[in-house]
Amino acid sequence: MTTLLQHPGYEEGRLQKVAELLPCREVQAGMLLSLMGEPQQYSYPSIFIYGHRASGKSHVMHVLLKELELPHATVSCVECVSVVLLFEHVLRSFFGSDAASLLPCSPSLSDFVRVYRQQCSQSPAKETRYIVMEKAELLRDTDANVLPALLRLQELVEDNVTVILLSEIVWDKFRPNTGCFEPLVLNFPDYSKGELQQILSRDRHPSYSAEFYSSYINILLGVFYSVCRDLRELRHLAALNFSKFCEPVEEGKVKETDTHKLWRNIEPHLKKAMQTVYLREVSSLQWEQMQQMEEKETGILRGLSAHTHVELPYYSKFLLIAAYLASYNPARTDKRFFLKHHGKIRKTNFLKKNEKTSNHLLGPKPFPLDRLLAIFYSVVDSRVAPTASIFSQISSLVTLQLLAQVSHDDQLDAPKYKCAVSMDFICAISRTVNFDIVKYLYDFL
Amino acid sequence: MLAEKSKPQPITADDGVNAGSRHPRLSLVPAKLESRQWAHHGFPQVQKVLRERFCHQQLPEEPEGVEAQHKHLLELLKRTAIHGESNSLLIVGPRGAGKTMLLKCVLRDLLQDKEVQKNLLQVHLNGLLQTDDRIALKEITRQLHLENAVGDKVFGSFAENLAFLLEALKKGDRSSSRPVLFVLDEFDLFAHHKNQTLLYNLFDVSQSAQTPIAVVGVTCRLDVLELLEKRVKSRFSHRQIHLLSSLTVTQYLRLVGTQLSLPDEFPDAKFAQEWNSSIETLCADKSVEEVLQRHFNASKDFRSMHMLLMLCLSRVSVAKPVIQPADLQEASRLCLADAKANMLHGLSILELCLIIAMKHLNDVYEGEPFNLQMVHNEFKKFLQRKSNSMYNFNQPVVRKAFEHLQQLELIRPVEGSSAKTQSEYQLMRLMLDHSQIMEALQKYPQCPTDVKQWAMSAFG
Amino acid sequence: MSTSSVSKGCFVFKPSAKKKRTLGLDDYFTDGCEGAETSKIRFKLCQDLWDKIKTETEVLQDELSKKILNSLLDFTMRCSSTHQHSDWASQMRASEIPTAALILGVNVPDHDMTFQSLCELLQQSVTPHVASVQAKECGALKHLMKRVLERLMDTVLAVDDDEEEEAEQTRGQIHKKVHCSLGTLCDWYSTKTKKSSSGTPGKKRTSAVRHEQQQPPLVIIFKDLEAFNPRVLQDFIIICSRYIHRVPLVFIFGIATSPSTIQHMLPHSVSSLLCIELFQSLSCTQHLATVIDKLILTHNFPFKLNNKVMQVLISIFLYHDFSVRNFIKGLQLALLEHFHSQPLSVLCCKKTEAFLNVMQLSNCDLERVRQLGSFRRYVEKQELQEQASLLNDDTYLKEVCKKFVKELHKYHKNYYPVLRCLHTLTSTLPRYPLGKQIRELHLICLEKNVWENEDYQSAMKLLKMLAKDELISLLQRCAEILQPVKSKIMKSALSQLQELLAKFKQLDTAAGETAPSVEDSITSPVKNLQKKTDLFQLQKTLLEMNESRRSKNLSPFEALRNEALEFIDNLVKIHLSPPESQTLYEVCYYSPSATVRRHLNATPRTSIQAALNTPYYYLKNDRLKTEDGLASNAAPDICIAYKLHLECGRLINLYDWLEAYATVVSGAEGNNPGSDNYVKVDEVKHARFIRAVSELEFLGFIKSTKQKTDHVARLTWGGC
Repeated sequence: MTTLLQHPGYEEGRLQKVAELLPCREVQAGMLLSLMGEPQQYSYPSIFIYGHRASGKSHVMHVLLKELELPHATVSCVECVSVVLLFEHVLRSFFGSDAASLLPCSPSLSDFVRVYRQQCSQSPAKETRYIVMEKAELLRDTDANVLPALLRLQELVEDNVTVILLSEIVWDKFRPNTGCFEPLVLNFPDYSKGELQQILSRDRHPSYSAEFYSSYINILLGVFYSVCRDLRELRHLAALNFSKFCEPVEEGKVKETDTHKLWRNIEPHLKKAMQTVYLREVSSLQWEQMQQMEEKETGILRGLSAHTHVELPYYSKFLLIAAYLASYNPARTDKRFFLKHHGKIRKTNFLKKNEKTSNHLLGPKPFPLDRLLAIFYSVVDSRVAPTASIFSQISSLVTLQLLAQVSHDDQLDAPKYKCAVSMDFICAISRTVNFDIVKYLYDFL
Repeated sequence: MLAEKSKPQPITADDGVNAGSRHPRLSLVPAKLESRQWAHHGFPQVQKVLRERFCHQQLPEEPEGVEAQHKHLLELLKRTAIHGESNSLLIVGPRGAGKTMLLKCVLRDLLQDKEVQKNLLQVHLNGLLQTDDRIALKEITRQLHLENAVGDKVFGSFAENLAFLLEALKKGDRSSSRPVLFVLDEFDLFAHHKNQTLLYNLFDVSQSAQTPIAVVGVTCRLDVLELLEKRVKSRFSHRQIHLLSSLTVTQYLRLVGTQLSLPDEFPDAKFAQEWNSSIETLCADKSVEEVLQRHFNASKDFRSMHMLLMLCLSRVSVAKPVIQPADLQEASRLCLADAKANMLHGLSILELCLIIAMKHLNDVYEGEPFNLQMVHNEFKKFLQRKSNSMYNFNQPVVRKAFEHLQQLELIRPVEGSSAKTQSEYQLMRLMLDHSQIMEALQKYPQCPTDVKQWAMSAFG
Repeated sequence: MSTSSVSKGCFVFKPSAKKKRTLGLDDYFTDGCEGAETSKIRFKLCQDLWDKIKTETEVLQDELSKKILNSLLDFTMRCSSTHQHSDWASQMRASEIPTAALILGVNVPDHDMTFQSLCELLQQSVTPHVASVQAKECGALKHLMKRVLERLMDTVLAVDDDEEEEAEQTRGQIHKKVHCSLGTLCDWYSTKTKKSSSGTPGKKRTSAVRHEQQQPPLVIIFKDLEAFNPRVLQDFIIICSRYIHRVPLVFIFGIATSPSTIQHMLPHSVSSLLCIELFQSLSCTQHLATVIDKLILTHNFPFKLNNKVMQVLISIFLYHDFSVRNFIKGLQLALLEHFHSQPLSVLCCKKTEAFLNVMQLSNCDLERVRQLGSFRRYVEKQELQEQASLLNDDTYLKEVCKKFVKELHKYHKNYYPVLRCLHTLTSTLPRYPLGKQIRELHLICLEKNVWENEDYQSAMKLLKMLAKDELISLLQRCAEILQPVKSKIMKSALSQLQELLAKFKQLDTAAGETAPSVEDSITSPVKNLQKKTDLFQLQKTLLEMNESRRSKNLSPFEALRNEALEFIDNLVKIHLSPPESQTLYEVCYYSPSATVRRHLNATPRTSIQAALNTPYYYLKNDRLKTEDGLASNAAPDICIAYKLHLECGRLINLYDWLEAYATVVSGAEGNNPGSDNYVKVDEVKHARFIRAVSELEFLGFIKSTKQKTDHVARLTWGGC
C-alpha cells in the first residue's frame, strides 16, 4: 500500500513513516501529496478539506507537514477568539516571535498582510508554506473579509503559501454571497466498517493477543456501529468496556477463542453502556468503578439526567406548575379549567378538532405574566398576598432556567415567559404538593 | 539516450534510482522504462511550469480573447503615465474571468517603457484588506513612501490628507508632479466605506486637473455603479471595461490545450515536444471532449479550468508522465462531486432514519419546520409499524444523533427561534431535498431494506 | 440662597460644611427609640449578642460544608495525580477534563459562603491556582477567557514573594499586550511549575508530595452554571480540552437545580469532553434545622422569639426562599427591633449583667416594668400590701425583678432539654402527632400549654403502647440529652430517669418468662399501627386498646411504663409551659410579628393601594382624615386622580377625568360653587392633573391605548 505514497520531492524513508502513521488514509494522503507537489514548487492557493468528525483530516495534515518537515502553521479557529490571535500565531510560526510583535495593538487584516510581506521579503519562501485552519466553519462568524482574504492569501502576500481549511461542513455553506476565490475542494470519506475494525484493532491491550482484541472490537462495532461511527467515541467505548469483556477469561471460565460465550457475556453490558457512557451520563471514571462493582450494586449508580429532583420553596412549586399549565394549555381553555362554575362549556366546541398536533409535540408557548399569576392564584390552595417575594421567585426561576423569559430583558411591562421543564419533572413536583396536574392539561383530556 | 543516462544531474539521478528501487516491476517493462528515462528530466520542470500557470496565475505572454480590452486599457494608462491625463475606469467581469490577469498584463507591457518606469507611481489597494478609509489612507501613504513626510501631522479632513500626499509627491526636483496609478481591487467593497470618502476624493482628484492620477477599479459586480453615491458617481468618468468571456466550446477546448502545453523555451525541448503531442492526443479524445463540454456548461472561467487541470496535473507522476483521459474524468468527478451526498454517506443508520423521518414530516406538513419531538415521534411510528432491523433507541440517544445532524448543518434552526427554547422543541428546517436523500439511500452501504422502503413510502 | 433665572436651569447647592456630621451606628440606633437614656447600653448588648450569633453561625456553616468540601478536595487531588498517569485505560481518558458538578440547592444567595470557603481550602491544601467566575461577568468568550487568565495568574502573584512579583508583573503586562489565549496560560504554567520545582530542591519530600508540588492543577470554578451563556461555555470547554494535555485543568460547576441541566446546556459533542462527577451538598432544610437547633433552641442566647415571629420567619423560609442566610437576617432584624423598641431589654443579657442592670433601672423604667402585662398578672395574684409594696417601693421591686430574671433564666435552662426529650419520644411515633421536626414541637409549646393539646394526648396514648425495647432506647436517649445539662432540677430528673431505666433492666432480668407474651400482645398493634396511616383507623385501634387494657390487669412492665410516662408528663407540665406564663418574659421575647413580616416580606402593591386610598395612613395629617369612600379634596393630586379613576370603566375619557378632578380640587380651594371661575380648568390644575396621570401610569394603574382617542386604559379591576 505504501506505493500510494511516493513523491520525488520527498525522502523515501519519511514517506514510509507517514504511510505507517496513516492507516486507511493512504489514498487521501497521496492525493494531498501530489497536490502539494515538491516543496519548492507552487501549490494551489487554498485547499478545502471536508469530512466527518474523526475522519482523520487534521491528523493527516499534521502528520504530513510534521514528518516531511514543511514550514507550516496550524490554527484551530475555536481558539481564535479574535482574528488577532490568528495573525500572531501565523507570523510567529513562520518568522519567529519578533515578527508577531511587529503587529500594532489592534491589527487589521491589512496590517497582517503588510507585516507578512515585509517579513517574507527578508526571508522568501524556499518551500511552500502551509497554513492549516481547523474547524474552519467558525471563520464565517469572524469579519466578513477574513475568509475571502485567506482563500487568496497567496496572491495578496505574493508568497508561496497555501491555506488549507478543514471543516465538517460542506463548502457550499461557506461561499459569501458575492462569491470569492474558489478553493480546491477535497473530501475525506468516512471510514468503512472494515477500516474502523482495522484501526481500532491497532491499539490493542498489551497483555492480550491481537485477534482476541479484534474479535472484541468486532462485537463492539456490532452494537454501536448503527448509532455512532465516530472513531474517537468508539475508541473511548472500546477502552472502557474491554476489562469487562475479558473478565471471564481472567477468571478462566472461558477461553479466548470462545467468541460466542464472550459475546453473550458482554452484549447486555454494552447495551447498558449505550444508555450511560455513550451519552456521558456516567463519567468514564465512575464507569470503571462500576466494572469493579458486583452486578447488584451497579444499579446504585445513576446517570446525570436521573437526578432531576429539585428542592423548591412551596410557592415556587406552584408558580412552576402554573407556568407549565400556561404554556401547554391554550389560553381560551383557562376559563374551563380554573373557573369554579364556568357556565356550560360544551365538550365539543371546547375540544377543537382542527388542532392536529398536541402541544407536547409543539413545545411550550409563551404567556404573559398576569396569566401566570391568575392561574397561580387559582391553583394554590391558600390565598396568597401578592408580596414582593412572589415576584422575585419568578425571576429566580428564570435564572435557574426553569422558566425562560421570552420577551427582551429590558421590557418592563407585560413580560412574557415560557416554561422550560419536562413533563415528568413537573409531574414529580406536583406530586410533592399533591396536585394532580394531568387533570388540568388540555392534551390529556 | 544512453549517454544521457550515464551522466545525469545528481538530483534526477538518485531520484531515478529511488524510482527504480521503488517499483522494481517497472524495470521489467521496457516501454515504461524508456518513458521514465526522459521523464526524470522533464518531469520536475513540467510540474514547475504548469503549477506556476495554474496555481500562481503566472501571466501568459499575451492574454487570449481579450485583445481589444487589453489595447484599450493600455491606451488609457499610457495617457496617464506619459501625458499626465487623469482618468478613472472600472474593469467589470465575473469571478475568474481574468480581470486581474488583464490588468497585470497591461501594467507589464506599460512598464516596458523606460520613461513610464521611472515616472509612474503605483498604489494597489484591496477591498478585502483596506476595510475602512483610515486604513486605506495609511496604506496609500506607505506605498508612496511618504511616512516620514507625513510624520505626525494631524489633518482636518480626509481630503486635506490626500491632497497633502499628492502635494508631497510634487516636491522634489521637478515642478510637474508624477502620475499615480490607483488600483482598487474588490472595488465594490470600497463603496461600503463610510460615505465613500476615499472614492469621492480619488475621483474628485481625477476630475480636477491637479495631479495626474488614474483610478482603476476591479470588481465582479455588474451593478457596481448602483452602489456609488450620486456625488461620487457624478465624478466618475463612466468608463468600464467588461470582461464577459464569449468563449465557444471549440475555443474553450483549444484554450485547455494551450494551457496544458509547454512553452517553446522549455529547457528539455524533446520532452516538451513529446508532452505537447500527448496533450494534443488527449484533447482529441472523445470522452475528454464530453468532460470539458460539461465543465464549459457549468462555468467557462479560467479559475475553474485551472482547478480542473491542476487536479489532472496532480495525477501526473514520474511513473506516469502523461495525462490520460481517465485522469481528466477522475478530476472532473472530483470537481463535480455532490458534497452533501458525501456527508450523508458517512451518517450512522440512526441519523439516516431521522433524516427520513424529517423528509416525511416535510411531505406531510408542506415543509413546515419541525422539532426533535416530532421527528422522534415519527421515527417511533416507523418502529412500531415495522422494524426488524432497528431497535428502539431512547430519547437521549436520538437526541445525540439529532445534535450531530445539526452540527453538520444538514438541519438548521429556524431564524428567530431563540436559544432559550429547550433543545427538543427548537424548530428546525431540513437542508436537503428529496432527490439528495434518495440518492444517498441508494449509495448507502448495507442499508437495511425496511428503512429503504420506509423512505420510499409516500405516507409517513 | 435663592436663584432667579429666566431659563429653567438646575442648580447644585453644596451642603454647607458645618451641617456635615458623621453619625455613628449607635447614633442611628438611639435616635427615635424610646428609653433613650439606656439606649447606649442596649446598643452594646445588642451588638455583643449579634456578634456571638454571627460567629456561631459561621462556625456552623463551616462544619456543615466540611464534608462536601473535603470530598471535593480529594477529587481535585485525585485528578492532579491521575493527570500524568499513563496506563492503558486512562490513555483514553486523557482528553477528558475532570469536572465536579456541585449541587447546592436553589437558594443561590447562600452559595457564596460555600464557594468562599472552598476557594480558601483549595488554595491552602491543593493548589495556589484557583479562579472562580460568575455568569454575569463573562457575557462573551473573550471576557470569560480574560477573567480566568487574570485570576489564575493573579492568585499566583498574591502568594509569590517580592522579587518574583516583579518578574510576574512584567510578564503580566506582556500578557495584557499579547491577547489572552490558553497558549499563554500554558507557557506561564510551565515556567511557573519549573520555577517552583527548581525553587525547592533541597527540601526532603516523599515523591508524591513533591509531585503535586510540581504539577498543581488549575481549578476553574463556575459559580452559577445555569446563568452562563451555553454558547460561551461550550467554546471555552472545547478550547480547554485542546490543552488538557499540557495543563491539568479541573472544572467545578456550581449547580443550583439538578445535574441534568448540564446535559441540557451542553450538546453531547461538548459534554463528551468532560469527566463529570457529582457532589451533593446537604439540603437547605437540614441546614435550617441545624441552625435553629444551635441558635434558637438554646439558653446561651437570652434573646428569644415568640411563637408568631418564629412562625413568620419559618414560613418565609419554607414558602418563599430556601435561604438560611435570610432566616438569620430575619433573626438579626428581630434582635435589633427588640433592643430598639423595648427599653426593658437592658435586662436581656447574662444573668450577672442583668442583675447589675436591674440595679441601674431608673424609676421610669420601673414604671414600664409595672406596665408589663405579665407583671400585672403577677401583681393581681398577690395580697394587698404585697401589691402596694410592689407598686410603690422601687428598691423592693428591683429585688423582685432580680428574682424574676433569675427564674426566667432557670426556665430557659430547663425548657430546652425537656423539649428535646419530648421530641425524641414523640418524633418516632406514627403520623408524628407532635411533628417530625423539633421546631414544630417548639412552636406548639410556645403557643400554649402543650399538654392541653389533644395531639399531645394521642401521642401519650401511643407512647403507652410502645414495646419495651423501643421505650428503653428512647429513654436512654433522653438520659443522654439530660446528661450534659447543669442545673439541679435536670440533674435530679436525670437521676430519676436512670432509676427508672435500672428498674426496666432488673425487670427483664427478673421476670423474663412472662414478659414476651405480654409484650408482643401489646406491641403487635403498635407494630401494625406503624403500617396503617389512616387517622380514623388510628383512633379506633387506640380506643379498643384502652378497652382491652381496662379489662386486663397491668403487667409489671406496663406499670413501670406508665410510671415512666407519668414522670415525663410531669416534666413537661412543669417546664414546657409557654413563656407568657413567666413574669417579665417581655424582656427577652420579641413579639411584634407584623413588623418583621412588613420588613422581610414586603407587599408593594397593597402598600401603594393603601397610600392612594388613605393617604392619612402614611402622611399623618389630620386634614386627610376622611370617612372612607369619598376622596378628601385636600389629598395629594395623585390620590384624587386615583380615587376618580376607580369609578371609571376599562377605558377612561381623559377630559371627563380632568373635569372631575378640577371639581374636587377647586372644592378644596374653597371658592364657592356659585362663582364662575368654579371648575374652570386653569393651566396649573391642568398641569397638576397631567402629572398625577403620568404618575399613575408610572405606577402601572393605567396605560395609553390606541383603541380610542383621548382615552387611557385601566390596568386594574374593581372599583370603589
